[in-house]
Amino acid sequence: MNKYNPPRMNPSSLRSRFATRFLRTLSKINAQKPTSSSSPTEIFRRYRRIKAAADKSMAYSVRSRRTWSRAMLWKLRTRPCGRRSVKTSTIIKSREARKTRHEKQNKNTTTTTTTTTGEDGVVFGVEADELRELVPGGEAMDLYNLLDETAHYIKCLTTQVQVMKKIADFYSP
Amino acid sequence: MDKGEKDKYELENRNENSINYQAPVMSSDWQFGGANLTSAGMSLVPSGNSLAIGSSCASASVADSFASNLWEHPSNSQNLGFCGINVQNGASSSNAMGIGKSTLTSLRSSVDGPFDMGWNAASSMLKGGFFLPSTTGILPQSLSQFPADSGFIERAARFSSFNGGNFSDMVSPFGMPESMGLYTGGMGLIRGPEDMFAANGMKSVSGVESQKSKLNVTEATRDACLQVENRAKKSPGNDRRSGCLLRANEEAKQGISGNESDEAKFSGQDEPSSLDGAGGEPSAKGLSSKKRKRTLQDAEIDQAKGGQPPTEAEKDGAEDQQKGDQKQTTSVNKTTGKQVSPASHPPKEEYIHVRARRGQATNSHSLAERVRREKISERMKFLQDIVPGCSKVTGKAVMLDEIINYVQSLQRQVEFLSMKLATVNPRMDFNIEGLLAKDIIQSRAGPSSTPGFSPDLSVGYPSLHPSQPGLFQAALPVTGSNTDVIRRSLSSQFTSVTGGLKESNQLSNPWEDELHNVVQMNYGTTAPSDGLNVNGPRPSGNT
Repeated sequence: MNKYNPPRMNPSSLRSRFATRFLRTLSKINAQKPTSSSSPTEIFRRYRRIKAAADKSMAYSVRSRRTWSRAMLWKLRTRPCGRRSVKTSTIIKSREARKTRHEKQNKNTTTTTTTTTGEDGVVFGVEADELRELVPGGEAMDLYNLLDETAHYIKCLTTQVQVMKKIADFYSP
Repeated sequence: MDKGEKDKYELENRNENSINYQAPVMSSDWQFGGANLTSAGMSLVPSGNSLAIGSSCASASVADSFASNLWEHPSNSQNLGFCGINVQNGASSSNAMGIGKSTLTSLRSSVDGPFDMGWNAASSMLKGGFFLPSTTGILPQSLSQFPADSGFIERAARFSSFNGGNFSDMVSPFGMPESMGLYTGGMGLIRGPEDMFAANGMKSVSGVESQKSKLNVTEATRDACLQVENRAKKSPGNDRRSGCLLRANEEAKQGISGNESDEAKFSGQDEPSSLDGAGGEPSAKGLSSKKRKRTLQDAEIDQAKGGQPPTEAEKDGAEDQQKGDQKQTTSVNKTTGKQVSPASHPPKEEYIHVRARRGQATNSHSLAERVRREKISERMKFLQDIVPGCSKVTGKAVMLDEIINYVQSLQRQVEFLSMKLATVNPRMDFNIEGLLAKDIIQSRAGPSSTPGFSPDLSVGYPSLHPSQPGLFQAALPVTGSNTDVIRRSLSSQFTSVTGGLKESNQLSNPWEDELHNVVQMNYGTTAPSDGLNVNGPRPSGNT
């Protein structure tokens, strides 16, 4: 083949969606920040903002199709504007916490049931909790859905890492 | 009558094959058992025909095997293998059928009690771990190692004689995901089979031996079918399911017992349900309903046949039912096996049916559990493919740990990269567009643009090339208006960044060409910009 035709990625693929969004936000952040951002605090702040932008871009690229994206968006939404909507967010949080607790209980019962009936249940007990902590929104999910979400989350994380790596490489000669 | 022949075979094979199998199978099986957790089915293959058979059966219960070490137990595989053999013999792809048959015979003859436990027993049978070790000595004639699985032994014997070469076919396709997919279709039907099972359970509870045996058989068939299904996966799964049902019908016709039909029904149901979880598939449902009627008829026949065995089965079944646990089942099976084995030789086949019986109340639970476990194992396999370096990992716990580590590392990588971007960014403001273009180009350019770039070009051009295409196109529409800006910024950027490297211009040219091409493509969709006259929005041009 004389001309290597790289497989065209789907223009609306996760990677492209995330890349465009993230680049946009990144440029915004870069435009906002003053040139004098050498102070560590400033850098740290930018880092936080960039990280949030990355997460948000990724979550938006996934929309609300996934539980983890929804949870992440919700988390990002409530975190920055915590001052104003603290009350609402607290209320929502408490409500969600209650729901999550309830779901967790259900889940726990399910897990216990699983444990009693199957060996895997026991095995998954500890690690599943760890996984739940890692995957946003994974607290209220049974094992099967959790694994599903984890798979998609991993895929999105790898995309994120790749795009950000490319950007970083571009920036740093 | 086929049945008569089968009985003969069983008797002969039982004595001969069982013994033969014992020696080679046991050792090899146990070895295999310990070998793989995940590839339970696979491990069975190498052992030999019997194992192959078992593996075929094991495939059906891959999910189970994965979940538990039962599959690893050679006995289980054998049993499964037997089931597979039966299936082959039946000249149908319905593994379930074979299993059902074998289960019917073995169950009836040997383990009435344990099977009454219901699915637990059946699953434990398949799982093998429970059955084999616990139910040793039940069948002195047949493999002593497969006490509870007397039926299995018989089946194995039969299988050994039949020994179809279809096992390779059965074994080879491990299309678990596909089969799972098939089963997912039947998710909705899970309810149906469960209801059926419940109904069967009711029957057994009512004290109808034949019913119990039917349930046991059904369960066994289900397990067998499930396992077989798992192994077989894919489209054959559907066929198998229907095949199981068909076989059940055939067997019922043959007069083996109503249990078989039940088994067939259940197996058909189980297969999908096991994969989907719990239930049964829509097709299985419909079939099962038909078979139900037949089962009833068969039940009557069974009743007539199994005068003694049912009693024993009942006794055992009662015990099993009380326990109602898979693990317990094995112990129960042991007891029942002992009780049953000496009693019935000729009616061994009937006992096999009984074997599948047990587990009425727990049917839905175990079924749902099995389906759940299969789903989870399927997910785990999928994750295994995604997470690098997990192919060798065996066991869910270790896999989960690996997954957790991987997710953590990815998250940390994102953090690190964002921090890096935070420190690096300040250098170039207007590089964003360039970055955008670069990313775009990265994704799209590939090697086509590489030749134009000399390695001396810093700015990391080479790093852009491996990128995938598509981003370019994707980004273009988004930044349609900025395309020109990007191009300009690109060229200017390159010039400035590279410190006036002459190559940069040259480099940017091919990029611009590409950009131009892409832009042309996208300009049709996006509002055609004024081309190179767009000077306005520069860095802040992005939305």
